[in-house]
Formats: sequence, structure tokens, C-alpha cells
Amino acid sequence: MRPSPVLPGVVAVVAVAGTGMGAVVLTSFGLMPLVGEPSASLDGWRAAAPELGVAARESLLVALPATALALLAGLLLAGVVLTPGRGARVVRTLVVVVLAVPHLAGAVSVGLLLGDGGLGARVLAPDGGWPALVGGPLPVATWLELAWKESAFVALVVVASVGPGHRGRSEVAASLGAGPLRRWTRVLVPSALPAAGASGLVVLVYGIGTYEVAWLLGRSYPEPLPVLAFRLFGSIDLGDRPAAAAAAATGSALALGLALCVLVAVPAAARALGPALAGQEVRR
Amino acid sequence: MTRRLSAGLAPGLALVWLLLPAVPVLLWVGAERWSFPGVLPQEWGVRGWREALDDGLLAGLGRSLALALAVAALATPLGAMAGRALGRRLARRPRLVVSVLLLPLLLPPFAVAMGLDVVVLRLPVPAVVAVVAVLAVLALPYATAAATAGYARCPEALEEQARALGATPRQARRLVVRPAVRPSLVVAFWLAFLVGWSDYVVTLLLGGGRLVTAPVLLGSTAGGTGNEAAVAALALATAVPPVLVLLAVAARPRGLSGGTG
Repeated sequence: MRPSPVLPGVVAVVAVAGTGMGAVVLTSFGLMPLVGEPSASLDGWRAAAPELGVAARESLLVALPATALALLAGLLLAGVVLTPGRGARVVRTLVVVVLAVPHLAGAVSVGLLLGDGGLGARVLAPDGGWPALVGGPLPVATWLELAWKESAFVALVVVASVGPGHRGRSEVAASLGAGPLRRWTRVLVPSALPAAGASGLVVLVYGIGTYEVAWLLGRSYPEPLPVLAFRLFGSIDLGDRPAAAAAAATGSALALGLALCVLVAVPAAARALGPALAGQEVRR
Repeated sequence: MTRRLSAGLAPGLALVWLLLPAVPVLLWVGAERWSFPGVLPQEWGVRGWREALDDGLLAGLGRSLALALAVAALATPLGAMAGRALGRRLARRPRLVVSVLLLPLLLPPFAVAMGLDVVVLRLPVPAVVAVVAVLAVLALPYATAAATAGYARCPEALEEQARALGATPRQARRLVVRPAVRPSLVVAFWLAFLVGWSDYVVTLLLGGGRLVTAPVLLGSTAGGTGNEAAVAALALATAVPPVLVLLAVAARPRGLSGGTG
């Protein structure tokens, strides 16, 4: 019997992701120490416990508003791209450009825009009084960077999913007297919901797992789970490794748990997830 | 007049949303001196580029290119095999297979890399091999999805006609199916390339600071000094190659989806 052609891919995912996640869990329980003998213990979880709840809340504070903003901006961008005209072509090209920019480069630019001595402060508050948008009490800069980058992803997925029939539906709505806003709310948004749900899920999970954006643009305390895990992981005290692993395991459980909730609550998003990743074609 | 104004408003706002966050980097890369509260640099120049080159920008870009090509070279055939089985409905339990192949999207990369770091230290596996393996797995959902779309759009009748005309199964695949799905596989390759190029956290964790790619160099510079001009030059140099790649892919006849139909 010939082996299934999906086997190499499935084995690669199970081997790499399974080994990585298994090692994180084992490390958190003291069963895979960097040095010394394995010894089952809850010390890592006890050490991380005071910060896990705060960090999980901070992760949600980063990811949920950023996802909502990315979905809103992405659907609005999709509306522009799907409206015939020269502006749509320019916007479509820029959406592709933003999608390709690495998050770290985006975070640097947003920091230079919203930071204390950034372009925003230079233009709007040269005499002082610029709010703490980078590293402040609310992760405004982190929201903006994630929403900026991910709105491009949402827009391309939505355009690909509704593209073929959208022009006809939109023309029918226009002939019945619907203006641009009503065509967006009554035609585009309803037909884009499965694709928006699928792309929103990807954005949400990314928002929970992102390290570099929150590290560069977020406040130093409380930290989201990836930043907490990374800091403990890099500690000179090797005894912090199990606590780092506990934070990483908590971050993974939070991402997987939220993903499962979305996939169960919105089955259409689950069905759209595969095509959403593949069908990023931009049609007019 | 009002209608023309409102018709131009939405694209205008979209342009502001898409362009504004990039403006500071574009200004800082040309700033020789830009003191607060000047809205524009007081002196234009290439200080940032000089310092970025001194920091090892070219070597970082070279490493990023090699890493991204290795990731794409590994992920594309895996994605193509899985995509053929899924697109042609040859896979048993396709929902389970899709769930497993999409799993890397739902797991935070830093957690997987953190776990593998402990494993790699115990095994005789070079760190760079571990980085490529993890990034290829992270790229696999995109590569598989693009390949699946290509195979799903390639009618099976094409292959059957080739067989009816006397082609062997191998000839039918090589001469008929492969050219038809090639655009999707090209998209799969470049999507995997982007995953490899853009990564920061996996390369940093598993590379142990020795694999200094362009994003790693950018991260260490941005997190350390307050040298905005050099940071902006590094950010722009890190962003331009993937932007050019994706624009080239999007300019193809079937855009980012590739495919045949």
C-alpha cells in the first residue's frame, strides 16, 4: 500500500509542533530541566502563578481590540477595493504592500509615529502633552500596528471570498437605490462574514501569540504572556525556565481555547479557514 | 459635486490608513539630523544607511534570503503533496488532515520554539536546521492552502484525457497537471518565503543569537539604542524584499491565488 501523500506534511506538523508543545509542558512541570535530573514539580507554575492571570488579561487586552479594529478596517478596505475606479487599484496595491511588511518593521514605524518624540507629537503636540500611546496604560500603539497589518490580510481574504459575485449584487442594490454605506452594510458585510470570521480568528490567535510587537510598543508591566515567557526564558537564573514554560503553555492554551470557541460558535468560519488562506486573490 | 466628494473620501481615508504608519520610517531613512520638535529633518543625508551597513545589514539580508529560500524549498513540496491529495479529494479523513495542517496557525510560534530549544540542545541538530524546520511547519498551512486551491481548479478530466491519448500516469502528471498547477505552487513557494523572511522570534529563540538575520538585527537595534535613523534604515531594508516579492506575485495573471482556471 502506498503511503498517503498528506503523510509527510502531517508528520512534519506533529513532529515539530507536537515536540515543541510537549517539551514546553514537560519543562513547566520540571520534567525536562536544562541541567540536572528531571523531577516532577509544580514549582514553575507556582513561581509564574502570580503573573499568569495578569499577563493573560493583558494578552486579551492586546488581541481582542486589535482583532475588532483589524476586522472593521479590513472590511472597509475591501469595500474600497471592490468599488470600480482608479482609487481602488491604488488601494489594492497598497494593501498588498502592507501585507508583505514584516510586523517588526511595522512596529518600528508605528513607534516612530506614536512615540514620545515621534511624528505625531512633532505635528500635533510640539509643546508637550502628547499622550503615552507607546508603553502607556493602554496598548494603543500595539493595537494600531496589529490592526494596520492585519486589516490588509482581512481585506484580501474578504475580497477573494466575495469577489466573483459581488459586483452583480452591488449593482442590483444600487439600482434599488442603496447608497455606498448601505451597500457596504447590507451587501458586502453579510456575504463576507464567513471569510471575515476565518481571517479574524487568524488575527486573534496571532494577537495573543505576538511577541515582537508587544515587546517594542507595549508597557513594561503588566506584560502579555509571550513577553512574560520570553523575559523569564532569558533570565540568568535557569530556575526561571519552568516558569517561562508555564507562561508559554498558558499562552498556547489561551490561543487554542479561543480558536476552538470561535470555530464551534461560527462553523462557517471553520469551513472558510482553508479557502481564506489560499484564495487571497484580489479581483475587481 | 457632493457625490464626487464622497466617492473620493473612502479611497482617501484608505490611503491615509495604509500609508500613515509607514511615513516616519520613510522620513527617518533620509534624515542626517532631525531634532524635536521639527516636523521634517533639519538635515537630509544617509547617516542611517551608513550605520545600518556598519551594523551588518548586508550580511543580515543575505542570511534572511538563505533562510527564506530554505524554508520555501522545504514547505512547498510538503504543501504540494498535501494540496494534491486535498484538492483532488484523495485524502482519507480530510477534515482531520486539514485540522492538523492548520494547527501551526493556532499555536503561538514562540511557545513551539521555546519547547524545541530545550530539545535541540540535547540533540546533535544544528540550530539553523531547527529554525528552518520550525519555519517550514509554520509556512505549511499557507503552502498547502495555495496548492489545494490549484489542484482543486485543475480539472481531473485533463489528466484523464492525457491518459486516453496514451500518456502514462507519470507523463500525464508531468506534461499536463504540473504545468496547470505551477502558478499555485509558485504562490505557495513565495508565501512560504515570506514566512521565513519575516520571522523574528523563532530565529532568535532557536538560533540562540548566532543566526543574525535582517529581522533579528532590526530587533536588537530597535530594542537597544535610540538611533532612529539606523533603525529606520534597517526596517526599510527588511521590508522592501518581501514587498517586492508579493507585488510580483500579485501582478501575475491570477494574482495571489495562482491557479489555473
